[in-house]
Amino acid sequence: MDYILNGFVEAFRLIFSFDPEIIQIVLLSLFVSFSATLYGTLIGVPLGIALGIHHFRGKKVVSRFLYTFMSFPPVIIGLFTALFLARSGPFGQFQLMYTPTAMIIAQTILVTPVIMGIVFNHASTSGYEVVQTGKTLGARRWDILILLVLELKAVIMIALVTGFGRAISEVGAVMIVGGNIRGFTRVMTTFIAMNNNMGQYSVSIAMGLILMSISFFTNSLLYHFILGDQNEYRD
Amino acid sequence: MNIETSHIKKIYQEKTVLSLDGQFSDLLFESGKIHGIIGPNGSGKTTLMKIIAGLIAPSSGAVLYNGQPLCQDIFSEMTYSTHTPTLFSRSVYQNIAYPLKIRKQEKNAIDQTVSQLLEEFEIDDIKDQSARHLSGGESQKIALARALSFSPKALFLDEPTANIDPKSIQIIEAALQKRNREQGLTIIIITHNLSQAFRICNHLTFLDQGSCLFSDRPEKIMTTSHSTIDEFISFNRF
Repeated sequence: MDYILNGFVEAFRLIFSFDPEIIQIVLLSLFVSFSATLYGTLIGVPLGIALGIHHFRGKKVVSRFLYTFMSFPPVIIGLFTALFLARSGPFGQFQLMYTPTAMIIAQTILVTPVIMGIVFNHASTSGYEVVQTGKTLGARRWDILILLVLELKAVIMIALVTGFGRAISEVGAVMIVGGNIRGFTRVMTTFIAMNNNMGQYSVSIAMGLILMSISFFTNSLLYHFILGDQNEYRD
Repeated sequence: MNIETSHIKKIYQEKTVLSLDGQFSDLLFESGKIHGIIGPNGSGKTTLMKIIAGLIAPSSGAVLYNGQPLCQDIFSEMTYSTHTPTLFSRSVYQNIAYPLKIRKQEKNAIDQTVSQLLEEFEIDDIKDQSARHLSGGESQKIALARALSFSPKALFLDEPTANIDPKSIQIIEAALQKRNREQGLTIIIITHNLSQAFRICNHLTFLDQGSCLFSDRPEKIMTTSHSTIDEFISFNRF
């Protein structure tokens, strides 16, 4: 048990020493995952809304595929991304393999179905009613789009945070397409996995604590700005 | 706004849910009147109203508004509200102001209209509350106030007073009659309450199993000899 306790002591020492390598890893992790969440949001939110509010033949099949993709293993996504980005693959000429861009691409593929699925689910139920009500009150296409985004803003934020949570916590995809190169593509999760394999538990615990703090911080922000706002009328 | 329907038919999932033919193949909802649509559950009332409101398309037949087919300009002069209205997740005031805001009205004009409606529907004490956390009766009053805020020419109501208290019913009926009297608002209302239909409607249409059995002045329904109508009236007496 001592090594766990010592690991925590060492972890706090490491965090407050502001090690440049740790800072660089944290910043790269945030950059990659924020970028992937941003792209995932730009793709997933409009598509989720559009698919959700429209009734069309085959909608159930689409929803089944979407929910399947939501739980797709990151390693598989990493593998397919690597196949496309590898030197001999269809996009090999762009030389993206083992770069942060490749990691962003892989994580975007990972988080887009998550964001899209959550938005789709809510747009299918409450979104359709909102559209119909907006129409009956004289709202035009642009008014309805604004109305929908405002009505679904809590859901969109939850989707965004869930997507970010999935991106920042995954290790399989970024390991395969990023390669865990020190100072270039090493992120928090690959750093933890690597140090755990090497028996260096203190640094793993330190990075784990940072990862958990980031998760706590983003969730607190969500609650404060969105869910807290929704609760303001209840008393 | 005169609304005429002609040989309306609606087939949903290979089942005919509405088919207006024979004596009542063509219905006229005259401008400036309050029209009631009554009938048992599953008789096609909501389907007919949604078709007239332009929310769903008929499988065959036509609807004309002042002799014209439906277009965006006509559609934006009509509105529709149900007994389970969708209120937006914003304050009561913002809900009622919404149709005026999208019509780019001045803030002062919006304030004035919304204040009048809040007072008329006796909901000014909850104007700053979220519209999502209110009782059924309050929600229905807000939905109706919101529907009336932009002074539509035709108003379609699907059981607007279902499950609400007598005072709220009185407020809603008074608001409808006032708009009808002063602005010539054409109102089509679905109700299960025959006494309400007699109180406020100038014209009644009775549907059963997707067919129209009666369409005339309310008092004439009492002298109509049809077993389904008789049964509906007798149950309403209790």
